[in-house]
Amino acid sequence: MGSAADDKKSLPPPGILNRNSVWLAGIGWASAMIHNAINHRPPVKSGVHRQFLLTTIGWFLGYHLTKHENYTYAKLDRDMNEYVKLHPEKFQPKEKKTFAEIVEPFHPVR
Amino acid sequence: MTLSRLLSRVGFVSRVGSRSAFTSSKTDTRSPNWLRVGLAFGSSAFLWGLLFKQHSTDVHEYKVRNGLQ
Repeated sequence: MGSAADDKKSLPPPGILNRNSVWLAGIGWASAMIHNAINHRPPVKSGVHRQFLLTTIGWFLGYHLTKHENYTYAKLDRDMNEYVKLHPEKFQPKEKKTFAEIVEPFHPVR
Repeated sequence: MTLSRLLSRVGFVSRVGSRSAFTSSKTDTRSPNWLRVGLAFGSSAFLWGLLFKQHSTDVHEYKVRNGLQ
């Protein structure tokens, strides 16, 4: 199994463009704009350096959050599959019946 | 309504909340604080560099581990 750090590195890394990055970058940008608005500055046109910095921070945190998320879900999946392998008696495939076998014969009353 | 208009309305709501108790003069909005601007853009550039470096390290590590490179 290896150490946690080892496992993390064997997962494919997320792309630079990923969902959490975009969302947190959007939150950063929105918070910069709201900060502008609260201080009676034009929201979009002023403090571009602030907007850019907060967007960047959001994007950066999003990337690492995605990595952590991937690791968490991969670990859960692996543990679940191992459990299924260790307890095959609990996961027998059910016998499949067609509808023809279950349904009663049809006698139309017209 | 444009995004700008919508956000500008926020100012009307909290007119009381943002007045500083330490100065009696309005902040000078015409001349930018270039040090702060430089620091903001500088740290943004640093973070982007860090991100791209981390990503390329991760990709390389993954390839090495799975014998693709």
